[in-house]
Amino acid sequence: MSYQSDFGYIWANGPALLGGLVTTIHVSVVSILIAGAIGIVGATLRVLEVPVLSQTVVFYVSFVRNTPLLVQLFFIFFGLPAIGLGLSIYGSGILALALWGGAYNVENVRGGFLAVPKGLREAARALGLGPFHYVLLIAVPVGLRVSIPAMMNTAVSVLKNSAYLQAIGLGELTFVAMEKVAKEFRTLEMFAAIGVLYLGLVLTLSWFVRQLEHRLQRPFRGR
Amino acid sequence: MQLLLDNLGLFLSGLGWTFRLAVATLLIATVISAIVGTLSVTRSRVVRLIAIVYVEVFRDIPLLVNTLFVYFGAPLLGVPLDPFSAATVSFSLWGGANGAEIVRGGFNAVPHHQRVSAVALGLKPWEIYWYVLAPQALLPMLPPFAGLFTLLVQATSLASLVGVTEFFQVGQIVIERTTITTGQSPAFFVYGGLLVTYYAICSVLTTGTRWLERHIAERTARLPKPARQLIVPGDVRPQESV
Repeated sequence: MSYQSDFGYIWANGPALLGGLVTTIHVSVVSILIAGAIGIVGATLRVLEVPVLSQTVVFYVSFVRNTPLLVQLFFIFFGLPAIGLGLSIYGSGILALALWGGAYNVENVRGGFLAVPKGLREAARALGLGPFHYVLLIAVPVGLRVSIPAMMNTAVSVLKNSAYLQAIGLGELTFVAMEKVAKEFRTLEMFAAIGVLYLGLVLTLSWFVRQLEHRLQRPFRGR
Repeated sequence: MQLLLDNLGLFLSGLGWTFRLAVATLLIATVISAIVGTLSVTRSRVVRLIAIVYVEVFRDIPLLVNTLFVYFGAPLLGVPLDPFSAATVSFSLWGGANGAEIVRGGFNAVPHHQRVSAVALGLKPWEIYWYVLAPQALLPMLPPFAGLFTLLVQATSLASLVGVTEFFQVGQIVIERTTITTGQSPAFFVYGGLLVTYYAICSVLTTGTRWLERHIAERTARLPKPARQLIVPGDVRPQESV
């Protein structure tokens, strides 16, 4: 073994890694927000049993869940231009991650909507609220509270899966590290660095999820 | 269509490698899960901590980073791995971490009074584990493990990044070759076809998992309800996804 590890190397490459980290967080946050919106819209369509659209959502969810994200990403980035829907690296990456997270969020939000007591739905109908108002005024404020921890878990997964975007050349954390490894062969140091960064990000976010879960459970615990 | 017929052999061999990778990984991951999962329900705090650290590290670092690290990092430790072995090692470590959570959940779902009764009967710890807890924990673990296999099939697509000629990599090769020879990129149809194939395979597996879930739920529903359930909701985190 002639490999001399040099952990000062990580510090020397701090700025590059930080840039990658910022891109990772940036892409993840945008995707997570879009995925949340997809989840709420999709779950609403399913709960209201809108014909055709509801079935489309079911198919979308099962399709995304039963195919590898990497292949979805390549289809979006390399396949769609053939039919005139070419997107930039950034756009493709966000689209792939958002569609992926959205599919999981549909089920998360639907779970929350189904947890809304039946009496509330009947009461809403008795008060003359239409299905749209029911979702907006009752299901979202009551049900979303239940699904937020699950949605946050999906958000953590989206963050981790942003590493896939290095495959299409988006300059996020893994991409930055791989580029350095290819040039300077400091494999161990680079992977240790990004490993710790990912671990830190995920653990922080998970801790936050637990706090939030605790906070959101408050009204249900009684005094 | 012509494209598919011309490259049928290639696609089939790719699928073959995908399955070989998924099955090899499942077998090794099961062994790791059994060991680490058991360690995470022992009484020793240090042992539990080791198991938790293992699970957290491999679940929280993206699988892709893990795979690249194993492939490019192994030579530095003096054991260069070929792409297939590197992918197997990396997926097994990841699958083992996820499986360990399933095993832990299975053991935690066994009603507490079973353990207490076994202690009262004077059974030794290994006897409690082997004769009382393991048989009851095993059945509820099967559906999540079937789900894990579906994830592993999907995860194999990552092996293409380190150069295993599995299904996805074959697709990329076909696209490149056709683009060079005909000047037109069939990316849309090939990647679309890959997606449909993965969808077909994984849907069958998912349906199987659902069936297993229902079947086992029916079986366990007939057992008398335990007096006190110690399973904490939210204790078992949702399974990882690829």
